[in-house]
Amino acid sequence: MVNFTIDQIRALMDKVTNVRNMSVIAHVDHGKSTLTDSLVSMAGIISSARAGEARFTDTRQDEQDRGITIKSTAISLFFEMTEDDLTDVKQKTDGTAFLINLIDSPGHVDFSSEVTAALRVTDGALVVVDCIDGVCVQTETVLRQALGERIKPVVVINKVDRALLELQVTKEDLYQSFSRTIESVNVIISTYKDEVLGDVQVYPEHGTVAFASGLHGWAFTIRQFAQRYSKKFGVDRQKMMTKLWGENYFNPATKKWTTKSTDADGKPLERAFCMFVLDPIFRLFDSAMNKKKEDVYPILEKLNITLKSEEKEYEGKLLLKTIMKKFLPAGEALMEMLVIHLPSPVTAQRYRAETLYEGPLDDECAVGIKECNPNGPLMLYISKMVPTSDKGRFYAFGRVFSGTVRAGLKVRIQGPNYVVGSKTDLFVKSVQRIVLMMGRYVEPIEDCPAGNIVGLVGIDQFLLKSGTITTSETAHNLKVMKFSVSPVVRVAVECKNAADLPKLVEGLKRLSKSDPCVLCYTSDTGEHIVAGSGELHLEICLKDLEEDHAQIPLRKSDPVVQYKETVQAESSVTALAKSPNKHNRLFLKATPIGEDLSNAIEKGVVAPRDELKARARVLSDEFGWDNAEARKIWSFGPDGSGPNVIVDMTKGVAYLSEIKDSCVAAFQWATREGVYADEQMRGCRFNILDVVLHADAIHRGGGQIIPACRSAIYASAMVAQPGFMEPIYLVEITCPEGAMGGIYGVLNKRRGQVFNEEQRPGTPMFLIKAYLPVAESFGFTTDLRAATGGQAFPQSVFDHWEMMNGVLGEDAKLEALVLAIRKRKGLKVEMPKLENYMDRL
Amino acid sequence: MSNSLSGPSNFADDGSAVIAREIEVHHSRLATEAQDKIIACSDIYEIDRTVKVIKERGYKRIALQFPDDLLPDSGLVAQLIREQTGSSVYILADTSYGRTSRLPVIYVFGKQPVDVQECANVFDGFFGEDKAKKMVLMYDVIYSHCVDKLMETLEGEMRYTNIIKSRVETESNLGFVLSDQKPIQTSSNKCCQNQGSCCNGESKSCCSQGAAGSSSSCQNRANVNGSSCTSSSGCQTSTSTMAAQQQPSLAEKQSVEDDSTTSDNHKRRRFGRTYDLPEGDSIEDYTLFYIGDESPTLSNIMMTHSKCEVYSYNPEKKEGRLESAQVNRALMRRYFLVQKAKDADVIGIAVGTLGVASYMTMIQHLKALIESKGKKAYTFVMGKLNVAKMANFMEIDCFVYVACPENSLIDSKEFYRPIVTPYELEIALSKSREWTGEYVTDFQQLLPDDDKIGVDKIKISQAQLDAASDREDEDESDQDSDEDQVPHFSLVTGQLKQNKRYTSNKEDSKELSALIEGTKDLTVRNKNTSIATLMSSAAGEYLQSREFRGLEVQLGETPVELATEGRAGIARGYNSESGYEDREKEKY
Repeated sequence: MVNFTIDQIRALMDKVTNVRNMSVIAHVDHGKSTLTDSLVSMAGIISSARAGEARFTDTRQDEQDRGITIKSTAISLFFEMTEDDLTDVKQKTDGTAFLINLIDSPGHVDFSSEVTAALRVTDGALVVVDCIDGVCVQTETVLRQALGERIKPVVVINKVDRALLELQVTKEDLYQSFSRTIESVNVIISTYKDEVLGDVQVYPEHGTVAFASGLHGWAFTIRQFAQRYSKKFGVDRQKMMTKLWGENYFNPATKKWTTKSTDADGKPLERAFCMFVLDPIFRLFDSAMNKKKEDVYPILEKLNITLKSEEKEYEGKLLLKTIMKKFLPAGEALMEMLVIHLPSPVTAQRYRAETLYEGPLDDECAVGIKECNPNGPLMLYISKMVPTSDKGRFYAFGRVFSGTVRAGLKVRIQGPNYVVGSKTDLFVKSVQRIVLMMGRYVEPIEDCPAGNIVGLVGIDQFLLKSGTITTSETAHNLKVMKFSVSPVVRVAVECKNAADLPKLVEGLKRLSKSDPCVLCYTSDTGEHIVAGSGELHLEICLKDLEEDHAQIPLRKSDPVVQYKETVQAESSVTALAKSPNKHNRLFLKATPIGEDLSNAIEKGVVAPRDELKARARVLSDEFGWDNAEARKIWSFGPDGSGPNVIVDMTKGVAYLSEIKDSCVAAFQWATREGVYADEQMRGCRFNILDVVLHADAIHRGGGQIIPACRSAIYASAMVAQPGFMEPIYLVEITCPEGAMGGIYGVLNKRRGQVFNEEQRPGTPMFLIKAYLPVAESFGFTTDLRAATGGQAFPQSVFDHWEMMNGVLGEDAKLEALVLAIRKRKGLKVEMPKLENYMDRL
Repeated sequence: MSNSLSGPSNFADDGSAVIAREIEVHHSRLATEAQDKIIACSDIYEIDRTVKVIKERGYKRIALQFPDDLLPDSGLVAQLIREQTGSSVYILADTSYGRTSRLPVIYVFGKQPVDVQECANVFDGFFGEDKAKKMVLMYDVIYSHCVDKLMETLEGEMRYTNIIKSRVETESNLGFVLSDQKPIQTSSNKCCQNQGSCCNGESKSCCSQGAAGSSSSCQNRANVNGSSCTSSSGCQTSTSTMAAQQQPSLAEKQSVEDDSTTSDNHKRRRFGRTYDLPEGDSIEDYTLFYIGDESPTLSNIMMTHSKCEVYSYNPEKKEGRLESAQVNRALMRRYFLVQKAKDADVIGIAVGTLGVASYMTMIQHLKALIESKGKKAYTFVMGKLNVAKMANFMEIDCFVYVACPENSLIDSKEFYRPIVTPYELEIALSKSREWTGEYVTDFQQLLPDDDKIGVDKIKISQAQLDAASDREDEDESDQDSDEDQVPHFSLVTGQLKQNKRYTSNKEDSKELSALIEGTKDLTVRNKNTSIATLMSSAAGEYLQSREFRGLEVQLGETPVELATEGRAGIARGYNSESGYEDREKEKY
């Protein structure tokens, strides 16, 4: 039984104040999908009996098999509120019916990009935290990302049943555990505080924290209990809520509330939360699980729960589950929390507009977004592509921020490289159809107004992964998403059967579309490379490629790690390179720019597009640059944006402006293909100290300058203590004490360095944090499981680039590495010689 | 010697640099040895054979052409020939030429010593287990003199039964009859003896005349001629004679055949090498054995026979090895270049030779192909390619190099832009061809049969193409067909690549008139007050992307300054720089 119709949903879409767009985010295995089931069962899409088992939003077979979410999945839900509850909604509403667009996201770090794509189109986030594991690495990552997108979080502490059944904790212990978890969430939130968003810390007494058991399908917030007790005590609901959390005690003897934990006689009092909230739950658990069935009924009566006759036959867990579901239905509690506390698009877009839009904040598009105006110019952000049943075609999945999109509408499709006024990355096409994404189904709709999440048909060919759809010719792009993971692990694939090549190429294209993060390209050795964020991600991608996208047998190489070439000191001598005609000379020196600046450039804090003076100020204030020099940065590279710079430090050179383009071209080229191993350079600054040019323009053209400048850059790097950087994972492992020895053993073998080890308060689990070179990470998870009897589960996420010991050209180990890379790339297997690049006068 | 002539010149290079320039020379051993020894020279350069031909035919004016590295011997050779024939002998200064007229040519490859027994032993080492293995024997031209001896050894003493020898032609001319031992040619008055044929293009080792010249190849040259002889009856005759496989240094002609159209008699010809396969066999069944050093010739053979195993024997180092392992890598590298070409919007057709047969047809063909995709084509006459020359055209995204097949495979990371072969460009742009691992370096095989016949047809085929593309254009505008507008997935970047369309003039004018009409309305002026609408011109677009766009007139904005004394001397070392030099020396 579906308790709502598409027409109902479509009608609600127009009442934007009653729409909530939210994502469910969390660490892996904290129970997002299971919890989502509870919500879905509310909407009647799956029967409530199966809620908790079906994992409705895990639409793929391998998701079901592995029990992890791989792709984020959207679903629209319908929720009806009572007039009374409506009073708690502190923003504008229109009627009692609400539309909740929910996106379930994966929890494994490797799929973080899916989370990013989900967050972009939502305004609120339901952060799920396991009450036993507490806040984990991925909890923090996704929370940080959410706040970065100005997305308001609410928290649900999940798996409370485990705490009760497995750990048998006391009520007070459980309270302490809850409050510790909430505390750690709030620490993270306050770290990434955003003034505009205001205080978004979560407080149980405000109702922004829920406690749940996704598996058993029950959940509650303080509000639910406050509602029950407010009548009994005759206290206002809001006031009651504050009493039910924190240092509030009720003295049953005096029937008085106090904030002291002892009564007048110094006898300890039971905390109100424990007494009024936990106590009924504990008693239900106790009686249901310990075969004291007769005790159950009086409680049920008190709680106004009636069991059907066949349900009365249930025993143990099943009975417990049934009772709890009736007592505290998860869907209701969570829906209430979402509707009350998460912002509607109208509320959210007002403050999100400036972080969403690249253009000026007063143009029609920006205004349309701020007002969430369905009659404004269309502004729609496509955050990901969802495969259709039609092979090779995709739904473009995104959020309408302004205007209304309807089938047949002619729209401008602006790719990530679109610049206003140009024709690059711009297509004008018609939207064929519009669909509502409903988990594993889609429902066609006529049109979709601002504030809603939607799938478009017919424009997938013009976008690779994401983009902006608009009707305004002056519209700038909506900002490109920043992913927290990058594709650092690569494998080369080839088809077993040479004739399948076209299929492979098509498959790579489809794979590329279907995943927000994966990168498919051909290396300059002609190998087809698939790059992913981690081993698991790659595994899934390759499986998809083989089975769905290309449907041909593949051969895969061992994973390959990307390195970076860099310099560790200033060039010991000035590098000189002459042009092929010997008539032009360039004098260059290389110096390192430092890890901080490299990071800043990579994160976009210092960017090529920044205004020159502002950038120079940042460089001089924060990175100790000479202000005048900072203004003379010619270019960033590679690709015009990488963490290397070329700086003009010449004085009074005639015609210099004329060769700038050539030098920049050479710089881009040289930083893209470093001299030692053809790997990208990182963290290098090249100072052009002097240039001697031929007086005749024809002798100082690109043909002369580009090769010369490239040689000079190479030579300057070679005399500047050239080094190699490797990518490093941050690994977090949760495990019981007994497994720690095994973990250390595995880490040691793989050059891993443990830098933090702590016991999770209130649990027997230890958390180990370590750095592990990506190059050593292949098979790490398997090894770890083997060494710990399956008790340790690592989460690895790319953390930073680390300088490898030694200087290239001196260190034998590095040399071996370079030669191995050169061999793989089909380059001459020998170290490049300085003479080849350094000229003499 | 030239230094004395040089002096500072404000206007032009006096050419001394060219004369003084050091050129990489390979295999100069032969040249130096030969210098003193006329006998050695006569032997290596086959003076006797040459003289015999010249005398027989009564040629009066002879031109000699040498590859760069053999030029030192040219005087001696010329002298010998002049003395023995009485003809006037000229030495061509330019080595990078192709056949410009239908003159008869004699190829002299020179001879390099090979230890035949050793070679046979190496061969036996590889294949001793299976004496009936199907083999094709190939070799660098400089070793052609000993191949027969090797064959004898292998077939005689070692009892190999399935070896097929490939042949290289030593003379060429059009449509005349060859008899095995006496190549006589009467159809032409002049004889032009090209010692060392030539190839154009990157100098490295392309010309192996006189043999020594790098290991490679005159075959390209041969190829050129070969193709123009296509299907002349004389060829057929000669080939059949050759099948006997007895005559040394046979010239032979044969039509160019693509694998797919293998002729009945299973003749294969690639890079001027010909071999006959028995009926029913395909080259994939064969293993190749190559005598010679690593060279473009070898890589060419490997590329075009990518499905065969290739073993090589290096007579200098006296060692043999399996080469095939490298092939895939080279092929994959070419595959990458194809991807690059696919992404290119502006393509330069670099013409390396004006001598290769039907080059003009090829250029027209490429142009039509490029323009039919809405891309922009520029044509450059380049001669030999070098890095500096190619980097002068930064607006070009990719070059396609029209030259003799031997030299078309240019793959150096030093080049600023990729350089592909016509075949690769076809794969990149034309939907009818796909990358299969097959490889064609000889562009003649790409041309539709009609085009091969000659220049006369160009106009017609071009006109047809135009008409065809016009129709295409119309179709597009009518139907707003998505086909060409859909961006393609670039395997180079892993992103979608929007195909720019540089419209033809006709459309330009349409657009222009639309613009003129449009100007009646108010238009929004952009910040720089510069022209906002760019006609779809590749050059204009490139200029916009450049930071330096020529000198700017800033009247009244720059302060007037007194002239100061600038640098003096010549550009390669200004007078003021001597001190600098010393300073730098100290640092080393």
